[in-house]
Amino acid sequence: MRKLALFAGVIFSGLSVGALAANLTITQKGRAFSSESVTIKKGESLTFVNDDTVPHNIFSTSKGNEFNLGSQSPGASTDVTFKDAGEVQVICAIHPRMKMTVKVTE
Amino acid sequence: MPGRSFGRSVLFGSAVAAIGFGIFGFAKLGFGSALVGETRRVDIGQKAASGIDALKAQYRRPALISFPKDNPYTPEKAALGKKLYFDTRLSVTSAQSCASCHSPGFGWADGLAVGVGHGMAKLGRHSPTIINAAWGEIFMWDGRLPTLEKQALGPIQSPGEMNMPIEKLMERLASIPEYKPLFAAVFPKEGIKPETLAAAIATFERTVVSGRAPFDAWVEGDEKAISEEAKRGFTLFNTKAQCSSCHEGWNFTNDGFQDIGLPSEDVGRSEFVPGVLKMQHAFKTPGLREITRRSPYMHDGSLATLEQVIDHYDQGGVDRPSRSDLMKPLGLTAQEKSDLVVFLQTLTSDLTPTALPVFPR
Repeated sequence: MRKLALFAGVIFSGLSVGALAANLTITQKGRAFSSESVTIKKGESLTFVNDDTVPHNIFSTSKGNEFNLGSQSPGASTDVTFKDAGEVQVICAIHPRMKMTVKVTE
Repeated sequence: MPGRSFGRSVLFGSAVAAIGFGIFGFAKLGFGSALVGETRRVDIGQKAASGIDALKAQYRRPALISFPKDNPYTPEKAALGKKLYFDTRLSVTSAQSCASCHSPGFGWADGLAVGVGHGMAKLGRHSPTIINAAWGEIFMWDGRLPTLEKQALGPIQSPGEMNMPIEKLMERLASIPEYKPLFAAVFPKEGIKPETLAAAIATFERTVVSGRAPFDAWVEGDEKAISEEAKRGFTLFNTKAQCSSCHEGWNFTNDGFQDIGLPSEDVGRSEFVPGVLKMQHAFKTPGLREITRRSPYMHDGSLATLEQVIDHYDQGGVDRPSRSDLMKPLGLTAQEKSDLVVFLQTLTSDLTPTALPVFPR
């Protein structure tokens, strides 16, 4: 399935697989994002995996890249593809200490 | 937080979604938004519950109070903040201070179901304690204020609470001769202004820390510090009763927001995070230090005793879409409920009485 997701990312972005080696997975163990900041290109995706023991609710209100994963239970994995360039603030609605920045480049 | 809703919708007919169907299943997309793929299940290799020593280590008290870099501690600033905190002249009527609702005699709350504000009118929510506010990530039951400094100015100006216009307060403080040198000493370049008032009050509040409780002595190795019932309660707290999913760490909170199924119409956090279903009726998880001094409980003060609180969690509360996925009937026995209450009682210290300050005139 991960290979399929990677393949999808290639189709979405039209980029080489090499560039998508940065197709990052963000984990959430211990009520913390695995990265505080990541940089991706427009059209690429991030995989949000809840490897924690409690549900999380990852979302963003950053203009052009709004999304809301809703309640994501432990063991759930969801890809988010960012369409617009810019800085995206991603937080967990449930756990306000969980914050990260996704820098989406052209 | 922007007021815009960003609920999911399925976008049919776009080229992007057409690709998405083939790979992700049904792609979900809000207008002008990022593309959310179908959620998959993955093996995350969950470990079994940790041993008791590892658990205890997660609850060890910090050695130092945490002060922000942009508002560092000085004894003079905290002393000025204490005078301001207890000074009733910060309210328009000169009858209420911060301490009216957050009194050291009631575990730095007020012992009432809901607060009482300007004109003796009841407020909508229970007055939260300020104990351990130094470690707070976000403030108010609904998280609408990001720092303790901003929080300090909220109730002063709120028409329902102290009802004091900030400009009028600046004039009043400036008219009290003995305040001027105190502000000048702590804030030599700034003097009396809203930012320095807030900085002083917040600094004092950060010095209000829960005392060493029997639980702390047990965590640090004194096996006789708490009873066997309390030890069983601690294990239940971290396992079957799932309390530690939210009430975690030495202050027993992760400052998260959860709808715990209380039958209240109050929309809570969703006023500031619209469009996120789980934020409806969600309130910030309070810490549990000095808990026996802080009844009644919950954001609406609706539960009088810890026994009632445990019964609420055991039953699971109102089943509605916004209710936390962690809330479900627990099947606790009478003994287990009793053990949990005995454990919670070990979080209360012998608080040192707080001396009232002498006010500037």
